[in-house]
Amino acid sequence: MNQFGILFHKEWRENLRNYKIFWIPIVFILFGILEPVTNYFLPQLLDSLGNLPDGAVIELPVPKPEEILQAVIGQYQLIGMAILILAYMGTIAGERRSGTATLLYVRPLSFRDYFLSKWLMASITGIVSVWLGLLAAYYYTFLLFNQVEIIPFLQFAGTYSIWILVVVTIVLAASAAMPNAGLAAAVSLALVFFMQIVDSLVGAYWTFSPMKIPVYAVQWLNGEPDLSDYWWTLGIAFAFILALLFFGTGMAKKKASTAKV
Amino acid sequence: MDQSTIVLLLLPILLIQIGLMIFTLIDLIKNPNPNGPKWMWAVLIVVVNIIGPILYLVIGRRNY
Amino acid sequence: MTILEVQNLTKRYGEQLAVSNLSFALEEGTATALIGPNGAGKTTALSMLAGLLRETSGSIKWNRESGVGFLPQHPHFFPWMTALEFMEMAAKLSGVDSKKALAQSKKTLEFVGLGSVQNKKTGTFSGGMKQRLGLAQAIVHEPKLLLLDEPVSALDPTGRREVMDLLKSLQPDTTILYSTHILNDAEQMTDQLLFMQQGKLVEQGSLAEVKERYAEPCIRIRFQTADQASAFAGFVSLPASLNGSTLELATRGDGGTAMKTVLAKLAENAEGVVGVEQKTVSLEEIFIKVAGGR
Repeated sequence: MNQFGILFHKEWRENLRNYKIFWIPIVFILFGILEPVTNYFLPQLLDSLGNLPDGAVIELPVPKPEEILQAVIGQYQLIGMAILILAYMGTIAGERRSGTATLLYVRPLSFRDYFLSKWLMASITGIVSVWLGLLAAYYYTFLLFNQVEIIPFLQFAGTYSIWILVVVTIVLAASAAMPNAGLAAAVSLALVFFMQIVDSLVGAYWTFSPMKIPVYAVQWLNGEPDLSDYWWTLGIAFAFILALLFFGTGMAKKKASTAKV
Repeated sequence: MDQSTIVLLLLPILLIQIGLMIFTLIDLIKNPNPNGPKWMWAVLIVVVNIIGPILYLVIGRRNY
Repeated sequence: MTILEVQNLTKRYGEQLAVSNLSFALEEGTATALIGPNGAGKTTALSMLAGLLRETSGSIKWNRESGVGFLPQHPHFFPWMTALEFMEMAAKLSGVDSKKALAQSKKTLEFVGLGSVQNKKTGTFSGGMKQRLGLAQAIVHEPKLLLLDEPVSALDPTGRREVMDLLKSLQPDTTILYSTHILNDAEQMTDQLLFMQQGKLVEQGSLAEVKERYAEPCIRIRFQTADQASAFAGFVSLPASLNGSTLELATRGDGGTAMKTVLAKLAENAEGVVGVEQKTVSLEEIFIKVAGGR
């Protein structure tokens, strides 16, 4: 068997036994369901909580189903990304620090396969979680509100999956480059959130940046994004991912000597 | 929408939250070496809905 | 045939020289003990040989294709993996054919005495079991060269003896370089001694050579009383030193003829003699001399 297969098997087993492959999707599903449900019960909730004078009626506009899915992405962008980053911050840095990496590094290890096996595992967990979560949100939105067209939904979820790849790649590269899991998480969180803020503040000057993928994903629900901008953004995102994969592999190799002996 | 349908719709949310809490508590009890005092994690898991169990799973569990 | 040749190997951390100008060679099939006090640079040297650390300068020449096994002083395993799962992964990563990896892993676990716990998670293993598993992962791919950092220090005396016997049984197919601070173990299995101190190689050679270099040959005769001892000192012309009822006669390396003379004298004046012996020097005494002398 090639090293990638051996190492991926190890990652798969590890993610089964530390339950990441179960609880991360479940949490995404939970947040996917919560959004349509809270929106549905919001009027009643306000009614029972609010100390409104008798006879006052709250008139809330019924949200469009597309808006519910957009709000789910809003949740994922905060809590979902934080969970993915925290769950995979130690993938490489943690192995080095605990010393478990030493008995791997002492073999004729392909660091490319080492890095890519971890990247693939985290990507699978992230994408499966997002799809299960969005499908749950889609179903609940359909039951409680109205149906979203299936094709735009697929375009929306598919585009958002590429954003997940960007985030996963950032965490893994940070874990390879940083001396410990905490710093890897800090750098990843800073990159993901800070760059999004920068992009939303001054990003009006450019139309293609990987940070705009979530925005474009949502635009599929209400028509379609500017296709030229869209494809340029995806192209740059893939180049960014590829560059980070090379960087991560290089850092994993360079920092191998910092593993605890 | 009638009452029973609504209960059925809410059931998964409840099941996930309680399931996650129980599962995390069992893992905490069996964990010989959690990252931090056990009682603190137990309180966090039970009191802080969803976030408590998640924090334990990513920080308290020592995955590496 | 030389399997490994090290020349002027140096590792510097900032101003600190962890290993300084280390040069030695390992002959195929031999066992070499790397001894020295804590902090002498043994672990750093072994880590460079294992390829875990990059040397600051110097060269390490050996045939990488022949394979190397490395056992760190405190091996760490993925606690969620069973011993057998870990071994199989280690074997495959070291290039063992995937069809043979499982059988080879089981055989090696049996060999180190972990056959009965092969399906237990390594997180439940004791220190001694981890040390044995560490040895198993180092030899599963049948490497020609075995580098072991304090392979028996964490074990109890019985375990130490067992593991040393295991190591001996790997010879002469495997060339072994191991560090230890337990000199009894070093004396049990060594064709060559390397003595490190403060990052430098301060003494090297076969056990016999080193012993001869540090031996202060003398004949030790024990009497019942101090008077009898001092009385006998007058009969021989060798430089004598008296220590209670024990008489030590320095022989300046001609132990054979000196012993004959002494025994002949004793035959005439054997009053109160309890024992006669040719004094030898232990590795421990050499260790103290070398460590203290510099």
